[in-house]
Amino acid sequence: MRPMWSRVLQITTLLAVPASLYMVFVVAPIEEKMGVIQKIFYFHVPSAFMAFLGVGLCAVMSVLYLVTRQRRWDLVAHAAAELGVVFCTIVLITGPIWARPVWGVWWTGEVRLTSTLVLWLIYVGYLLLRQNAENREQAARWAAITGIVGALDMPIIYKSVEWWRGLHPVVLKMSGGGGLDPVMGRAFAACVVTFTLLFLCLLVERVRLGRLEDEVESLEQQAARRPLTAATDAGGGSSR
Amino acid sequence: MTAFEPGTFLAGLLSGLLAAIQDSPAVAPIAAGASAVRPDAVERGLRFLATAYSVVWTILGTYLVILSFRLRRVSRQVRRIRERLGL
Repeated sequence: MRPMWSRVLQITTLLAVPASLYMVFVVAPIEEKMGVIQKIFYFHVPSAFMAFLGVGLCAVMSVLYLVTRQRRWDLVAHAAAELGVVFCTIVLITGPIWARPVWGVWWTGEVRLTSTLVLWLIYVGYLLLRQNAENREQAARWAAITGIVGALDMPIIYKSVEWWRGLHPVVLKMSGGGGLDPVMGRAFAACVVTFTLLFLCLLVERVRLGRLEDEVESLEQQAARRPLTAATDAGGGSSR
Repeated sequence: MTAFEPGTFLAGLLSGLLAAIQDSPAVAPIAAGASAVRPDAVERGLRFLATAYSVVWTILGTYLVILSFRLRRVSRQVRRIRERLGL
């Protein structure tokens, strides 16, 4: 049975989705230069944030796993990596759809785009490594190392538009203002909150799945041992 | 009944969506200072916007459906083994 807080989280997320859609399509004004196409921003950027959250969480949990060797950290790392890939996929698809009418091309070879694709490939590799490994302990160890190394790509993605100037704009400036209209800012904040809730909801369910898979494995081991134990008991009984 | 294959389903859906936004071979980028409120620009923008939003919710929805299928299957497996073991 699911705990109460999990239900509350799910209901809040269900309410937040239409609320954020209302903010984006009804409240937020249409941007002057790009027009309606700019509204992709409200889902493209929060998806990128969630991809970062997934990858960052995976790296932190991987470090904890390597230090403590406790299975629970590995479970969260695996779940976070999977979610990181899901949100990174959204970023990599919505980005070109936005770029085509604004820049005139689907894709350019600039650093931010390429490094995001590299991040996605690293974490797809992470998931394939886990899926195809036969020894769980070994897979967890190698996956943890991959997760930590993969996360090193995050600062490159974040700083790339400042280090190598390209077509991609700087999304959020730490100083000097981001140039976002206050109403647009509120709609954007609503989308970030909604996506964070969505991320947490999916993370909780994905971790639950990992726990259940572990339970299946241990129960199957018990079931495999049982006939042997029964046979041993029977053998012991007859020799007496 | 054929088995549900998320990969094939997603690939088909994405190719359909991409086909839907296929426009003239050369799409002129929106020039700085150009008006984005012209009817043709608005229509084109809406087409791309609708595609992007469909992609976002399709990916999230598909992931959610796959996750719930897997959860249900593993829960059933746990119940079956527990019953077999008499737990």
